[in-house]
Amino acid sequence: MEAHAAHDDHGHMPVANSSANVNREWLGMVLFITSELMLFGSFFAAYFFIRVVQGDPWMPEGQELPKYVAMANSAILFSSSATMHWALEGIKHNNRKALKTGLVLTILLGATFFGIQVSEYVHLGFLPKDSAQASVFFSLTGLHGAHVVVGLIILIVVANRAFKGHYGPEKEKHWGVEIPGLYWHFVDVMWLFVFTTLYLL
Amino acid sequence: MAASLRSPGWYRAAFSMAIGWVVAFVLVTGLRLILGWQQEISWESITTVSLITVPVAFLYGIGCMDYWLYWLSGKPTKVDDHADHGARKWQDYFHFNTDHKVIGIQYICTTFFFFLIGGMLAMVFRAELIAPGMQFVDAQTFNGLFSSHAALMIFLFMVPVFAGIANYVLPLMLGAPDMAFPRLNALSFWFLPIAGVMMCLSFIVPGGAFATGWTAYAPLSMNAPMGQTFFSIAAQFAGSSSILTAINFLVTIITMRAPGMTFWRMPLLGWANFATSLLVVLATPFVAGSQFMILFDRALGMNFFDAAQGGDSVMYQHVFWFYSHPAVYIMVLPGFGIISEVISTHARKPVFGYRMMAFSLLAIIVLGFAVWAHHMFVAPMQNWIRIPMMLTTMLIAVPTGVKVFSWLGTMWGGVIHMRTPMYWAFGFITMFVLGGISGVMLAVVPFDIAVSDTYFVVAHFHYVLFGGSLFTIFAGIYHWFPKMTGRMYNESLGKWHFWLTFISFNGTFGPQHLVGLEGMPRRVADYAEQFAAWNMFISISSFVLGASVLIFLYNMIYSWRSGPIAPANPWHAHTLEWQVSSPPPMFNFDEVPTVVGHPYEYGVPGARHGIFKEPEPVVATVGAPAEETVAEGATGADDTSSTDGDA
Repeated sequence: MEAHAAHDDHGHMPVANSSANVNREWLGMVLFITSELMLFGSFFAAYFFIRVVQGDPWMPEGQELPKYVAMANSAILFSSSATMHWALEGIKHNNRKALKTGLVLTILLGATFFGIQVSEYVHLGFLPKDSAQASVFFSLTGLHGAHVVVGLIILIVVANRAFKGHYGPEKEKHWGVEIPGLYWHFVDVMWLFVFTTLYLL
Repeated sequence: MAASLRSPGWYRAAFSMAIGWVVAFVLVTGLRLILGWQQEISWESITTVSLITVPVAFLYGIGCMDYWLYWLSGKPTKVDDHADHGARKWQDYFHFNTDHKVIGIQYICTTFFFFLIGGMLAMVFRAELIAPGMQFVDAQTFNGLFSSHAALMIFLFMVPVFAGIANYVLPLMLGAPDMAFPRLNALSFWFLPIAGVMMCLSFIVPGGAFATGWTAYAPLSMNAPMGQTFFSIAAQFAGSSSILTAINFLVTIITMRAPGMTFWRMPLLGWANFATSLLVVLATPFVAGSQFMILFDRALGMNFFDAAQGGDSVMYQHVFWFYSHPAVYIMVLPGFGIISEVISTHARKPVFGYRMMAFSLLAIIVLGFAVWAHHMFVAPMQNWIRIPMMLTTMLIAVPTGVKVFSWLGTMWGGVIHMRTPMYWAFGFITMFVLGGISGVMLAVVPFDIAVSDTYFVVAHFHYVLFGGSLFTIFAGIYHWFPKMTGRMYNESLGKWHFWLTFISFNGTFGPQHLVGLEGMPRRVADYAEQFAAWNMFISISSFVLGASVLIFLYNMIYSWRSGPIAPANPWHAHTLEWQVSSPPPMFNFDEVPTVVGHPYEYGVPGARHGIFKEPEPVVATVGAPAEETVAEGATGADDTSSTDGDA
């Protein structure tokens, strides 16, 4: 152990070589999203086994899903991807107003989506324990809802920073908007799959 | 006291864990009151929720989240002062630390701690199995013992110990000052003790430890006692730890290699961890998914696996094995990397077929995703899956065979130094080939059906996991012990450790092939009279095997405290981690080295892997200037290269 002390005077942390032309945080987020995709994949596997392999009806008698409410709700969520993109483009062109407006709109749209989803849960008229199909439905939408909540928390932090005057048009100064945005787009794209398989097919 | 409660550490951790439990209590009891469910307090629900809130509170208390909470508050980011980086005294190893070398040691010590617990559990059930009939424990306890043994060995030892070794060695090997995300790295480590303690705590809850095997098959695990919940949540923590570490490794390997280190100049340990991390990122979420479903069924009354409600219990096996087959490669691919380093260095030869070694790793991870159902040949799944899965399983022996022959080719004609890591490497190759051959046998559907759930399977996976993976871990620990501790281990104790382990390992698991073929079922506390003689032999061998670990522990602890001081490069290796002092300085390199050649050019005159100056003087001078003392001479010159980077 004493040997450690001998080396303490070696100065400061050297700058690591950059051996690939990608941003580390961006790559980390892409890999994290990849593993998230697989987590959703495991629940889609459950869906596949119950609906396709076993051939059970989707959904069972008396457990209808409100297709049109969900469709309108999807439109709300997908439009939040557009506002997120607007916010990012805004800060890239040093338009702080667009950044702030875009972020606030994204948060409002996301929160609206989540609110409608919760109200849908309340008004569905069946519970996760009522059938295997209901278990899959609540798990997949609930897993997605949890991701919406995490995304909203991140976006609120980003918005807070945006209103304090952080971020800028330089590449290294807007990663803080771009990477949360990447996560938010993932949440939206994931909903496309969840919505299509659970409500439409 | 107030001050110690504000700063990160064990006092704050204990205090916030208490708060975490109160939160769970209030949350559960309050919700039940508001929703008008049963009025009495449900201790089982409170325990389930507290298994999530208490660990999160612990992580906060120990300091994993301080920087992130500061960031979340929206204050301006500050330059890191590295206050929690590097160990200055031994107590620092018990605190939140962002130095990959400290985290590596933390990983290795923690995982070996759980390895000892898992091993002792095995001693207890081998004592039970020493004779037919019931000796010491009842059947339910026996089930708990072997389940915890497997779960601890897999989730708390085999998977994370490789992450620990790579954590220490990989950034040094790549010429990086640290991992890409040091705080995430620390968080991944602190998930581990949580998972391990949770699994061990399941022994004291009503109903005993989880007793459904490490596989936790549904619907058996649906109605199992409380301990099952401990397993499911602990597996989530262990799985999150692996995923976050794998992301960290991938980003480090892709973006932080030293200048000049192309992918084809990267040491094979880097390749092995690159392949493993890809597997972890893609496969581990499936075990998380399977345990989420178990939790939802148990805690929320969902019906994923209840056939009466339309659930599908075979689906559990598919989802579980979609992770858990790749997991066996997660548990051995980093070992392949270690063995490549060890054999090349101690046989003084370039790795034979370096590119094929890398390609075969990638082939294994691709094929590894297409073999999972060979664990389910006796499950009621679709018949047509069996033959394709049999073929892919046999096919996976090809890239593995490429590796085995490349190791043999590496040693061929080499100057083999029979040091302890090399003993373990030889032991690994022989034992792993035996385990691989019984693996190909098990891939054959009719044979598998005949020996399914017998001791033949137990013998097979212990030959690949103990004789395979654990031997590589020992090889790696001995190989990098001088680098990690700055001390030399004791060679003769190391060889005693090897021979005692090697012989008693074969005594323990070799005969299990025979009793398995005769039909002795696994996971049963009692057995027929005809297996008595072999089981007596197996149990006695297993006790010797357990005792052999004591030699290892003594060697490690004694050598760490008072072994001879290690030079910077005792093995005359070329890779970058040996070109800095032992142990390395706090930030690994005072200046990032430049890589100018392949990592394993042993015996090639003038060959060098990395240098610490700009490349231009190297072209001019043939003899190595004293300052650049990087690679040792091709002829294996004396170790004069104590390059601690003072130049």
